[in-house]
Amino acid sequence: MVVLAAVIVVLIVTDVMNSRPDKRPDNPYEYTVDQFTSVDTALVKYTETIDFTFGDLDLRGIAFANNRLYLVEDNYLMVVSPEGEKLAKSELPESPGCVTASSDGIYIGFRNYIGQYDPDGRLVKNWEPLNDTTVLTSLAVTDSTLFAADAGNRRVLRYKTNGILSGSFTGKRDSADLHGFIIPSPYFDLAVNSDGELWVVNTGKHAFENYTFDGQLRGFWENAAMTIDGFSGCCNPAHMAVLPDGSFVTAEKGMVRIKIHKASGEVLAVVAPPEEFKGETYAPDLAVSPSGDIYALDYERKMIRVFQLKK
Amino acid sequence: MNRKTFINNSGRLILLGGLVYLTGSIIFKRKVSASGKYVWQIDPFKCMQCGRCSTQCVREISAVKCVHAYQLCGYCDLCGGYFKPNTHKLNTGAESQLCPTGALKRKYVEEPFFEYKIDEKLCNACGKCVKGCGSFGNGSLQLQIRHDLCQNCNECSIARMCPTNAISRVPIEAAYQIKGDFKNPALTNPK
Amino acid sequence: MKWLKIILFLLPLLLAFSDLEAQQRFPKPEFHTKYTQPTPTTPEPRGVGMEFVDVLVLLVVLSLTSWFAIKKRSRNGILLLTVFSAIYFGFYRNGCICSVGSVQNVALAFADPKYVISLYALLFFLLPLIFSLFFGRVFCGAACPLGAIQDLLIYKPITIPAWLRKTLGFIPYLYLGLAVLYAATGTEFIICRYDPFIGIYRMNGPHLMIYLGIAFLLIGLFIARPYCRFFCPFGAILNVFSRFSRRHLSVFPTKCIQCKLCTTACPFEAIDFPDEEKTKPDTKSNTRRFILYMALIPVLMLAGSWIGSKSHVFLSKAHPDVYLAELLISHPELKTDSKNIDIQTFLASGKSLETLVAEAQVIRDKFYTGSWILGAFLGLVIGLMAMNQIIFRRREDYQANKGNCYSCGRCLDYCPVE
Repeated sequence: MVVLAAVIVVLIVTDVMNSRPDKRPDNPYEYTVDQFTSVDTALVKYTETIDFTFGDLDLRGIAFANNRLYLVEDNYLMVVSPEGEKLAKSELPESPGCVTASSDGIYIGFRNYIGQYDPDGRLVKNWEPLNDTTVLTSLAVTDSTLFAADAGNRRVLRYKTNGILSGSFTGKRDSADLHGFIIPSPYFDLAVNSDGELWVVNTGKHAFENYTFDGQLRGFWENAAMTIDGFSGCCNPAHMAVLPDGSFVTAEKGMVRIKIHKASGEVLAVVAPPEEFKGETYAPDLAVSPSGDIYALDYERKMIRVFQLKK
Repeated sequence: MNRKTFINNSGRLILLGGLVYLTGSIIFKRKVSASGKYVWQIDPFKCMQCGRCSTQCVREISAVKCVHAYQLCGYCDLCGGYFKPNTHKLNTGAESQLCPTGALKRKYVEEPFFEYKIDEKLCNACGKCVKGCGSFGNGSLQLQIRHDLCQNCNECSIARMCPTNAISRVPIEAAYQIKGDFKNPALTNPK
Repeated sequence: MKWLKIILFLLPLLLAFSDLEAQQRFPKPEFHTKYTQPTPTTPEPRGVGMEFVDVLVLLVVLSLTSWFAIKKRSRNGILLLTVFSAIYFGFYRNGCICSVGSVQNVALAFADPKYVISLYALLFFLLPLIFSLFFGRVFCGAACPLGAIQDLLIYKPITIPAWLRKTLGFIPYLYLGLAVLYAATGTEFIICRYDPFIGIYRMNGPHLMIYLGIAFLLIGLFIARPYCRFFCPFGAILNVFSRFSRRHLSVFPTKCIQCKLCTTACPFEAIDFPDEEKTKPDTKSNTRRFILYMALIPVLMLAGSWIGSKSHVFLSKAHPDVYLAELLISHPELKTDSKNIDIQTFLASGKSLETLVAEAQVIRDKFYTGSWILGAFLGLVIGLMAMNQIIFRRREDYQANKGNCYSCGRCLDYCPVE
């Protein structure tokens, strides 16, 4: 009798002790990718030099042109000097998704239309809106052609810089293919490099594809892997930019890391390993200055982080 | 009336009065739900897949199950929630699957899309697929309390241990919070 | 005809709008093959409104038990109702929600303006109390599922010496006080957590619950109704209420013939014996003792509230936020412990330690108020229990103790009086 009573007391006390926050058992179903988050420090060739913050603004896109940084956030377009000084600010009608700029002007991609602004940030005109399922995620401009990546309809649109839509393509590798660009999530990036080549990131296939301006596939490389040489998860890299020497800076989401790949695909260096993005899952948007400095727009910390080559 | 009956009656009156006061103050100053039915619900945006949904439920097989919000799924070949990280062979082999019980089933739709469906009888709410999908995919897999299994305890044992306080009591009309229901503005995932 | 035209005109518009609503934020891939996207299922729980059937069943069982105990004087009837309660409230409804636990819901609703209490929880709390004010502890007798299972598994009850019974009888008040304190501060529902029998009723549960249940049932074979007598917090309230009941189960229908057969029937020692002194004792010393004990009550209450306020820090540690705050302050090195899910989640949540400490302080202050009230309450209980010992009650018959008798009706069959 007394034994049973003692048993009851012991059971209750043990239960109380075991449910304290520091005595709880570990997760037997822990999902960890720790073996991939640690990066060989010899590969990390860049270091973070400066950070700019602009208060609590929700930054949405970044571009570098004309020795200026163009930032778009929920309601504003901001023109900033490379040292972080605010030079101009103008209001936007709705929340933008992406931005690109050239010496002729600034182009801001809203959800389903593009807004054309002059280099000082004043609206020139808003281009024809596209259909309801359009989600513009990236813009790239060269001379008089502008490319827009439409993630919603899985296609790349080609505009003339006066706003006229001159073509689009869906990136089918083979005409018998059912689908071209595989875009599972609203991240679809493209860029034109200094040689005038259009490179599009086919995120679903973890591939970099080189197209002619009217959509003919010239070549591609792909690498789906959690290890440092490839792109992790289901659809990466979410953002990319081209460096002056033709190599690509890539930013992945999920296990956030910024790397540099050769134009032919091999990984060259790591700009920022996952430990620089502890607790984050969104890939930073990228812009590159002509001197090779990498500007990363960290959405979660709401700041621009500048990475430069280590001395 | 003798002393005993007097004490008896007045005591009863006082206790009745106390009950009336208690009931009155609760009915008039607090919220009393006449519909009566409140159920437990996991907020999928707060959940961090700690694995306690599987181990802490009073039922031996947890009343929490993984649910697929198909609206959000990318139908990827390389599903972040299906495959172990860095698998090379994208097939249905058990060694490449994340799910410890094989509850997440993969079905070919058309090149290169696959449909992922959960067999609830096998799911043990461990949350591995949810974590994988959330970190490396669109986040369409989520853990939800299934109310045909849930005992609707007065105090949910899992809720007590949830590190993010993701489990709360909600009226039965809003019992399920499945992502991708864009009629409900609270459920649109930020960016 | 006109309505039909309007409907036909409006229908496409409505469909167009419903299309917009079903549209996703980020469009799905376009499937070329005939693929239909399945929709996630949302299985419904037990029918809404059925819980009021439970309230109705409770009402019927309580009424029938009162009738069987007081009017019909039938042990068989009460036994049948006990079995019914064990099956309906126990195995079918899995023992939740029960009146014992409803104390916590009511306490939380009283203390926290944000908590929504459901009407049927309130009714489960009120009905047994109202019935006990008029008919005694009929709830314990046949309606309570926890009592039912203990009652049905009494094998060879042993007698417990009175001093032990009365000392252990303090525990339900302590349990009640702690349960109300922890419920009102929003810490935990301890009655639910340490409910021994719900694991048995569900035939499923974590190890702790099952072992507790088996231990209690094993003890219950020899010590009748161990949970009811020495733990049940609702029973503590019912005990007090039942002492003022209008009518109560009576062992004998007309008069007692002092045969003492009923005392062998009752496994709970709930039958009071007639007083042994033939003459009334000395009134003066009695009155003096009474006044002394009466004066002792406020002293005990003050002592209790002092002890309570001193122990509020210890009691508040049961609240996970308070515990976490203390842990992080006293062991800051644990911040780097990557294995501890709770600490890591807190650090990742962005909440600063200062905010957590401030919140913990608010909770601790609530515990301060609650603890000294608890202390005073327990002091009062001890004082009243002591007074109960020395109050002289003239008893000539063997009669059921109004507070302790569960109205189970075993004695009714033993009494030979017609």
